[in-house]
Amino acid sequence: MILAQQFGFLDEYAKKEIRRTSLKAVAIPGYQVPYSSREMPMGRGFGTGGLQLTLALIGAGEVLKVIDQGSDDSVNAVNLRSFIEMTCPGVGTTRVTGEADLIQSRHRIPEKPLREDQLLVLQVPYPDPLVVVEASEEKRKQLHGEADYSRLLVKLYEDIVKFDEITISHRYPTRINDHYVIDPSPIPRWDVPKLHMSKALVLLGAGREKKIYAVPPYTKAEPLAFEDKPFRVEAFLDEQGRRRACARCGCDNSFLDEYVDSNSGEQVYRCSDADWCDEQLARQTAAEVIYG
Amino acid sequence: MLEVSAIWTAHVQQQNYRALLDAISHPGRVKSILHQQGGLASLAVLATLLDAEVSLADPDDLLEAEDWPLLQASAAAPGEADYILCRGNRAARFQPKLGSLPSPERSATLIIYVDSLHRGELKLSLKGPGVNGNADCSIAGLDPDWIRRREEWVCGYPLGVDLLLVDDSAVLALPRTTKVEVA
Repeated sequence: MILAQQFGFLDEYAKKEIRRTSLKAVAIPGYQVPYSSREMPMGRGFGTGGLQLTLALIGAGEVLKVIDQGSDDSVNAVNLRSFIEMTCPGVGTTRVTGEADLIQSRHRIPEKPLREDQLLVLQVPYPDPLVVVEASEEKRKQLHGEADYSRLLVKLYEDIVKFDEITISHRYPTRINDHYVIDPSPIPRWDVPKLHMSKALVLLGAGREKKIYAVPPYTKAEPLAFEDKPFRVEAFLDEQGRRRACARCGCDNSFLDEYVDSNSGEQVYRCSDADWCDEQLARQTAAEVIYG
Repeated sequence: MLEVSAIWTAHVQQQNYRALLDAISHPGRVKSILHQQGGLASLAVLATLLDAEVSLADPDDLLEAEDWPLLQASAAAPGEADYILCRGNRAARFQPKLGSLPSPERSATLIIYVDSLHRGELKLSLKGPGVNGNADCSIAGLDPDWIRRREEWVCGYPLGVDLLLVDDSAVLALPRTTKVEVA
């Protein structure tokens, strides 16, 4: 078969624009840099922002991991991975976090801490955290420039008045390098602290909204909170107040997904990060072999 | 048959882009640039980033006439250009565009040609995003006046300029967020 398109699907002009944009994004941490966002052979909203970044970044010989909600086997991850395999000959793919040079992810940051030589691309549906308090983009850009987030803080305060805590479960507004507040994509609260002083560069791409932004390595990333209402992550406590563990690997320090057992109707909790769960399981099996 | 250097090919530009991305993510880190034998690494940097959508200023005439059609960028005065190529051993003589508060990305990227990024009389200590604690670098062929002028340009964050220092074979980035102290 002769490939009808060039390496990486996008034409070189599209890649250059994404490359220029991503360099600006790193230079101005958290600022949403506009770009043209080309048509991709899939609907906007299916990870085209992340995909365009990956295609502009990746080169032959590199190894890519694609995850959707922590799993390499969800439909979005499978489709994106096979598209990249088809259009980028010479690129390897993996499911193992530690083996990947580039990781494209939807809604999760891997549990295994990333290294300096790795790069995380997050797919973003709604890039602007100010959209809930200001409809005009022109005004939002001014507010971002001035780092004026008072209306967002009022919104969080209203939550506290009504519910006695901030109720945002994902897309938690996070301040980068003491200036811009970003929407860190629909990652759970659990993943937000991983952005703070991360060893790996994190690039965020919103294809439909035509924005690219970044959290550079070793950069402050602080979730918005109040002194007397500090930010907290999901606790995963059971009725007795004990930390729930993964039903498969027994891990009690990972982000858990809740399932309902179709036979018994019981709630079951499992690691959301499939590779992390496999790794914990393999470690236990190895330990059992050694210690009997 | 037209023969062009590898710096104009997609594969080399992808690798040079990753070197630039790594450099700007880690201010002070020296990254090798694939470039033409005997040619300027700064030309390879421009080849990686530029096309007809952006403008370039070359106030020190570092480019050859035949480079311009390949770069495709439109020529602009340093005060209006998106990218400015200049010599480090002469003090800055222009005011680059710094962007605006709502659109700080509409600012210039300076590609400054220096003698060496590995050893030199100008010792800098860097702090800020991308730097794990402190980073030191020593540069030859950069007039200290550049650092003073840069201070003026970047003091109104998020407005500012981003500097790419390039010697014969490598690049080192000083994005606007980096705090630079002359040691």
